Amino acid sequence: MRPALVVEAVSKRFRVDRDRPTTLRERVLRPWGRQRARRVEIWALRDVSFSVERGRALGIVGHNGAGKSTLLRLLCGVGRPTRGRVVRSGAVAGLLELGGGFHPDLSGRENILTAGILNGLPRGEVQRRTPAIVEFAELEEAIDLPLRSYSSGMFLRLAFAVALELEPETLVIDEILAVGDARFQQKCLERIARFRAAGKTLVLTSHVPEQIRALCDEVLVLEEGRVMLQDAPEPALRCYSDLMRQRTERRLAAIAGTTTVPFSGPGGRGSRQGTREAVVEAVRLCDAEGRALDRVESGQSLAIELDYRLGRPLDDFALSVGLYTAGHVKCWEMSLSSAAAVVGPLGTTGTLRCSVDCLALLPGSYAVNVGLYPPDFAFVYDYHWDMHVVWVHGQPAAPGTEVTGVIALAARWSRVG
Amino acid sequence: MWPPRVRQRLDLVRHLVARDFRLRYHGSLLGVLWSVLLPLTQLLVLVFLFQRVVPLGIESYPAFVYSGLLPWTWFSSSLAAAGGVFVGNRDLIRRPDFPSGLLVLVNVMANLLVYLVSFPLLLALLWVYGRPPGAALAIVPLLLLVQAMLLVGLGLAVATVNVFYRDVQHLVTVGLSLLFYLTPVFYRADQAGAAALVVLRLNPMATLVTAHRAVCLENVVPPLATLASMTATAALALALGWVVHRAHIAEVVDRL
Repeated sequence: MRPALVVEAVSKRFRVDRDRPTTLRERVLRPWGRQRARRVEIWALRDVSFSVERGRALGIVGHNGAGKSTLLRLLCGVGRPTRGRVVRSGAVAGLLELGGGFHPDLSGRENILTAGILNGLPRGEVQRRTPAIVEFAELEEAIDLPLRSYSSGMFLRLAFAVALELEPETLVIDEILAVGDARFQQKCLERIARFRAAGKTLVLTSHVPEQIRALCDEVLVLEEGRVMLQDAPEPALRCYSDLMRQRTERRLAAIAGTTTVPFSGPGGRGSRQGTREAVVEAVRLCDAEGRALDRVESGQSLAIELDYRLGRPLDDFALSVGLYTAGHVKCWEMSLSSAAAVVGPLGTTGTLRCSVDCLALLPGSYAVNVGLYPPDFAFVYDYHWDMHVVWVHGQPAAPGTEVTGVIALAARWSRVG
Repeated sequence: MWPPRVRQRLDLVRHLVARDFRLRYHGSLLGVLWSVLLPLTQLLVLVFLFQRVVPLGIESYPAFVYSGLLPWTWFSSSLAAAGGVFVGNRDLIRRPDFPSGLLVLVNVMANLLVYLVSFPLLLALLWVYGRPPGAALAIVPLLLLVQAMLLVGLGLAVATVNVFYRDVQHLVTVGLSLLFYLTPVFYRADQAGAAALVVLRLNPMATLVTAHRAVCLENVVPPLATLASMTATAALALALGWVVHRAHIAEVVDRL
């Protein structure tokens, strides 16, 4: 059987005029030489080749600007490759940009009709399927209102419902699972599972490694428009995180002229990497009032404070804080893509506090891993891995009972029947 | 009957024309009547000017003007909207595999509907002025086809180039207002003098308007040579428009 998608040596060039002559007057009046000089060429994709067998699910990972969105658009047939070709068998539907393909002045119902007819279905067939789409999108109330009045959540539900219910051979999704409420997300994931069970092909990008692991059979790693690897999810995701480390090291080399990062946790524990354009100087565990704790109790409140210092002026950074077991199993991690958006303007130095009401971890030893990044997470300013250890204390289990695992749950037993 | 691919395209054109119509008259009470009223007011003004103020001495003048005004209105409203066809339909252009050239055809067809709605009015006017249309009317579909080819060709070029240079739509507006006077809509071509006749001969709309009027008003089928030459001109415009569109469509998608 033919593969669902074949990409052969595809390159895509964008010409960007630094200040684009949008009027004929400028075009005519500006000398040719200067016109050339102002035109910048960007190769978003370079010599990309791969194929997706029918019924498979391919994930595409790469940091922002690696060419993911350009590639997805070409897969859908939006635009043409500058070189090479994309061969598709069967209908391809894409969820590329939120609201793309919909007209804001027309009602949801009219937009469904347009989408269906564009997908090659006869008018009557689209009308037959419309109720199912409306039901899946949960838009019974709003379906005859113009899309202008929809919230972004409603937009998303409609887009998903249309794409899934029109049953294309191949579905291409760009990062869209990232929005929408958790319940609808779950519904979409279940619908995607059904879609896949029917032998259809799926291509998606995601920033969330768990989503890639859960949905994809194989993963393509893109870096600066080139394919670095096409492999099973685990090795591919490893390659992806290696790329982040390499970018960090390259940047560090460019800044400091060295790639050797001194490892120094308290007492020589753990490891640290990053360009040090922003650094975490200290990590403290406190109670809710900010008093340093000498003893962390399971089930009690906890605040993690980190002192940062900027190595050069930065308006903003992204950060992550995670709790890991001694065996490096992630218990919890939270990342903010913009610290300034959450805590307000950032000074050259400062202290950020992350408070939790109930530390629901079983007694034991855990590592607090913290990191600072540029807002697009392209590389690492400073990451502390396994450097900060926290001992969580707790009541010993009642005689005759044993509790194992990671999270602490207040469990009671009784006979009810 | 039709191969499925053709049938699907027909379905699509029909749907998009309806959609274009709905968007255009969205929320207005009179709807398409507005588009019929516009040339009618123009007719009133022209009749007042050239029958009362500066009489041109043309018989059945209202029927004369209206039979030229209808094809002209189709021409000018289609071309005036052509600039926005790609720029204003980003949502469709960026859909997978969308045949973007179709949008130009949709624009031409949507404006043709105005012509078709107005056509009974023209027939009524012809009866009123004692010029009941005859068998020559059978040639009207051919004239419409030729004009559609011309419009799609010009429209493809205008829509494409306007993505890169937004001046084009303004240029077209200016050009259309000039061309209105260089097309024998409210005067007879032979009244224009020898010098202007050269210009009129170069203007394909002059030929089409004259032919349309001869058919409706005089029940005269244009000579075969005229029909052949205007078909050739329209075909050439279509081919040129298609070439421009083909050469730049990939970049159009990137730019939008």
